[in-house]
Amino acid sequence: MMFDYRAFAYNQISRIAPRYLPFADVATEDVPLSRLLRLSLFQVTVGLALVLLAGTLNRVMIVELQVPASLVAGMIALPLVVAPFRALIGFKSDTFSSALGWRRTPFIWKGTMWQFGGFAIMPFALLVLSGYGDAVDAPRWLGLGSAALAFLLVGAGMHMVQTVGLALATDLVKDEDQPKVVGLMYVMLLFGMVAAAFIFGVLLENYSPGRLIQVIQGCAVVTIVLNAIAMWKQEPRDRERAAQILERRTVPRFSDHWKQFIRYDGAFRLLVIIGLGTFSYGMADVLLEPYGGEVLRMSVADTTKLTAVLAGGTLLGFGIASFTLGRGLAPVRLIRSGALIGVPGFLAIIFAAHIGDVLLFVGGTCAIGLGAGLFGHGTLTETMRRAPKEHVGLALGAWGAVQATAAGIGVALGGLLRDIVVHVPTVTAMAPEMPYITVFTLEGLVLAFVLVITLRLKNVQRLDMKTEQSIMPLGFDSPSRRNFEAIR
Amino acid sequence: MSDNDPDKVWPTGLTLREAEEVHSYLIDGTRVFGVIALLAHVLVAVTTPWLG
Repeated sequence: MMFDYRAFAYNQISRIAPRYLPFADVATEDVPLSRLLRLSLFQVTVGLALVLLAGTLNRVMIVELQVPASLVAGMIALPLVVAPFRALIGFKSDTFSSALGWRRTPFIWKGTMWQFGGFAIMPFALLVLSGYGDAVDAPRWLGLGSAALAFLLVGAGMHMVQTVGLALATDLVKDEDQPKVVGLMYVMLLFGMVAAAFIFGVLLENYSPGRLIQVIQGCAVVTIVLNAIAMWKQEPRDRERAAQILERRTVPRFSDHWKQFIRYDGAFRLLVIIGLGTFSYGMADVLLEPYGGEVLRMSVADTTKLTAVLAGGTLLGFGIASFTLGRGLAPVRLIRSGALIGVPGFLAIIFAAHIGDVLLFVGGTCAIGLGAGLFGHGTLTETMRRAPKEHVGLALGAWGAVQATAAGIGVALGGLLRDIVVHVPTVTAMAPEMPYITVFTLEGLVLAFVLVITLRLKNVQRLDMKTEQSIMPLGFDSPSRRNFEAIR
Repeated sequence: MSDNDPDKVWPTGLTLREAEEVHSYLIDGTRVFGVIALLAHVLVAVTTPWLG
């Protein structure tokens, strides 16, 4: 009797294989918290990349590598250029054509690869840029081009991972669990940033080119490992969706879907709110420390603690938001409170300079952190809740595009102002608090304006609950699409 | 037995089209990592040449 190798092999493969494929087994109704915790690991890598680009490398390039500050600023701003494309990335993932019926995982993987690639070439690109070793003779474009490419790759990968990762989280959880997930995502981002800042600080204390290479490439490995763990077996296979995509007759166009999306009640208003609020809080972020140091004469150790107070307030905000939203509070009301708390916070900070009261300043800082936490949580939860099933990626992409751009511009403007204060002593000799107070007043006013806009933001439930037909996948002559054509 | 049936689920748990897609991710990954490695080597060679 001959042993049937073929049947044996088939049998073995069929028993083993599915375990080694990155699909979720079934689309379960209930996704356990442990799985969501695993998914939220991608936020740690995003936090890591953010800190490395904007914080650590900023310093290393200027101090140790002696790259001109303006060039460094340009490099660090590069990822910001990619931010508006998050809406497009989200849309692409919504309409992705896959035989597996996947929409999110391929993009998370692609983003991870870009992030990894950027980190892998970044240390050498920076060494070439700074003219280390034999690179003194290297042509200028090589250093500039490769460094720019590295920053762009990391930035683009980071934006892609975050956008699509959040969309996947939205796909996976039920509406009532969304506040919990948003809280988890924010806390993991914060955790990643704090841990990264601390670890980079320790590792780069004794700087050497070799150490720089180790740290950045270590980052690359950590990123790819954490993201692989995060996306493993998260997204279920969907043969029905795959079959529907195959039958798709028209290629979905971004402009059509964007017009449809922005037409939803309050979608545009919400984006404006997100942009202005994030801008205000982002700008405050970079100005609080120098303000405390120069105007209130706090020591360096004390202003560093200020950052901890701000982060603590933000964490408290996330906690309160998760708790109250979980008990059925409308996110819109949370957004309002988030903007509302910021106004007296900025007032306290402004008056602290007049009466020289450090405690008032710390209280104001805590209020700013709290407001930023409530506001951030509220807007993301509201975005998730409003996102119609077929536009989840687009909605979260739009959120991310506006949020990242506004925060980036806020931080950049804040930094610019700080530099002006430092470098133009004649302006600040008489009243060092003047430029700061102008900006804080502006921020308070913007938040007050945000508050006014939110008053007209209605509580909208998920749209496809009202119009069942819009659940149809994209790109066919579905009823919702025909309706949309009729509207136009 | 029709091996060309696109809807047949093979012992791996995948149809032909699905398997091809999984494979395409592998190929893409290899290409991307290859290009990155090449670029990294060029940059390293510029800073610290190891040949000649």
